Order: sequence, then structure tokens, then C-alpha cells
Amino acid sequence: MEKKRIHKDIVIIGAGMAGLTAALYAGRMNLDVLVLENGIVGGQIANAAGIENYPGFAKVSGKELMGTLQQQAESFGAVIDEFDSIVKVTLKGQPKLVETEEHIYEADAVIIASGMNRRKLPLPEEKRFAGKGVHYCELCDGHMYQDKVIAVMGGGNAAVDAANFLSKYASKLYLIHRSDFRADEVSQKRLKENPKAEIFLQTEIKSLQGEGRLESIEVLDKVSGKLRSLPVDGIFVNIGVVPNTELYKEELPLTPAGRVEAGEDCRTAIPGVFAAGDVREKEIRQLTTAAADGTAAALLAEKYLVKIKEGNPVW
Amino acid sequence: MVKVYSINDCPWCEKVKKYLKSKNVEFEEHNIEENDVDRDACYELTGDTMVPITTVNDKDYVLSFDKARLDEMLGL
Repeated sequence: MEKKRIHKDIVIIGAGMAGLTAALYAGRMNLDVLVLENGIVGGQIANAAGIENYPGFAKVSGKELMGTLQQQAESFGAVIDEFDSIVKVTLKGQPKLVETEEHIYEADAVIIASGMNRRKLPLPEEKRFAGKGVHYCELCDGHMYQDKVIAVMGGGNAAVDAANFLSKYASKLYLIHRSDFRADEVSQKRLKENPKAEIFLQTEIKSLQGEGRLESIEVLDKVSGKLRSLPVDGIFVNIGVVPNTELYKEELPLTPAGRVEAGEDCRTAIPGVFAAGDVREKEIRQLTTAAADGTAAALLAEKYLVKIKEGNPVW
Repeated sequence: MVKVYSINDCPWCEKVKKYLKSKNVEFEEHNIEENDVDRDACYELTGDTMVPITTVNDKDYVLSFDKARLDEMLGL
């Protein structure tokens, strides 16, 4: 059956902080805006147990913050579809085409806010233990490890916060990171004071062992050069992220790391196409900067739409 | 009857339930964090306690949100 073609002023790809902020602003400008999300509405941060660095909130869960933002965007008319997956995008020319499993959307402007996915553990046995001891979502899978031994891989804020969260389940918790902490001092201090936590820095995971389920991991102390086996029931991997840009690599210039090249105005190399949030190449990637990107992208997209209507789509 | 095994804070569980509602599929929710019987039933079905699990006959099941497999299992 031929897919139905539907026109939209703006299609936003991704419903994380940047995408939903753009949707909120676009909705308030009375634009016909559609947000497409293949994963979770709210994005990666929706899994965060407690956010303490978003201005105006002493502490808020990712679910609450992003749930409120979703409602805010929807209250101004933004439509969010989290079930109709994108299969192809054509960004050059006008209109832009965003083809999903069920529709072809013709958009005057596109805001790419597709964010990042967690980097997989780079070990050949990762697949064998995925879901059977190797996990990527603390909120979803932490409950499986009540009174068990958990290891968290990574040393950034996300990893340390995950470790602090998981300690409520674990009988013993290891944090293992190949270099030094990158997490902020507050999170580090909290983990260091946690009686269940043991921290291994300058330590690399070398292999996973177990019959059916994960039973132990082999780690290398990079300072002493010693290998040791740690009995663990589960590991939660938080070793960074990879940008979700597979759909755009044919049309948009990407950095070697796979992020979209665009400036602070979020304009990409293609007129009418903006990149906002963590998917955009920039030095600082925080919730606040994602919100700023979403704001800029929506406001400048609206200006672009006006220029199109005037027949003068300068970029 | 369609059953969804879930836990309290689980974005993928929410997504599965929203999807079933959007398709007017009636289902029973079984929270394995709050009910040991449900936890045991989930374990018996899947050999694990990963959620969400959607089952239509206590035999076939779909782990997480896999739209194609849910559609196939539920005949959507």
C-alpha cells in the first residue's frame, strides 16, 4: 500500500531535551510540528534517577523532568509519534522528506535532535551476555540484582550516578574505569562515601566469563599490570555514547566521531536542516546546552519558514 | 488475555503499555517488583526477570519494545 504523504512545517527527529524544547518553541509559534522518536520519549536522560544540575530544580528525576516537558510541548500543539519509525530521510531540496514505516512526511524544515546511544562494551562476548549480566539501563534492569554483586563500567557523571543508584540493590558494587574520574566532585564524593562501593580506576575490563549468565569479569590493573578475576552477577556499561546519525551520513557532513557539523545557530550544511543537542558537534554536551540548541533551532527554523513563504529562503 | 510483566520505573514498560493502548489491545499488567507470584511467573516463562515481557498465551513472549514482533504475536 502506498504511504500517505503529509505536510508538516517542521519535523523534529528525536524527543530528548533538544527535540522536545524545539517542539515546545515551535508549538508556541503555532507551527505544525511533528516529533518522531524511535526510542523513549524523553531520551537518555529519562532514565536518570536524579538530576541535580538543571537550573531551577534542586533534584528531579529524568522521568519527571522530561514528562513535564513532553506535556508542555503537547499543550502547545506539538504531536509526538513514538511508534512510527523512520526508515529514510532526504534532506536536500524542498520539501524535506522523512519516510517512516507508515507515512512520508514532507517538511519545510527538519531539526535533527536524534541524540546518542550508549556505547556497547567492546568485547566479543558482549552479545552472548547482553541481558544475561550485561546491561545498559540501570532504571530498567537494576531490580534484577537485589543483594547481588554489580559492577559499573565508566567514570563520567552518568556512570558514577548509575553506581550510586544501583547501590540500593547491590550487596557489593564495583566501579571500574580505565582512566581517572571524569565525574563531578559531588557525585564522586557520594560514591566514595558509599560503604558498598569499591572503586577501581586505571583498570580495564578484559573479558567476561560465565555459563549462560555472567559470573565473573577479568580486569587489568593498568598501573601494576596485574590481571584479576572479580566475581560479579551483573555489569552496567556506561562508557560513553555514540551519535545517532546513521540516517544522515549520506547527505550531511559528519565529524569523525559521527556527530553533525553545525554551529551554535544549529544550522547544518543543508538549508532548512538544523542539528540540535548531543548529536551536534560541540564541546559541552549538557541538558542545559541541549535545551539551548532546541530553542535556537526552533526559532531559526521559524525564520527560515517565513523566508520560504516569501520566496527568499536564504541560509 | 495479553499480559505485560513490568516494574515501577521502566520507560520501555511504559512504551509497550502505551503501544498496546494505542492499538486498543486489552492487557493485564503484572508488576514483578510488587508481587512475588508475578515475578516467579515471569521467571518461569522467560528464565529471567528482564522486563517488559509481553505474552499472549503464557508461552510465546516478546522482550522489551519490539514492534514487529509484538504485531506478529498479537496479530496487529
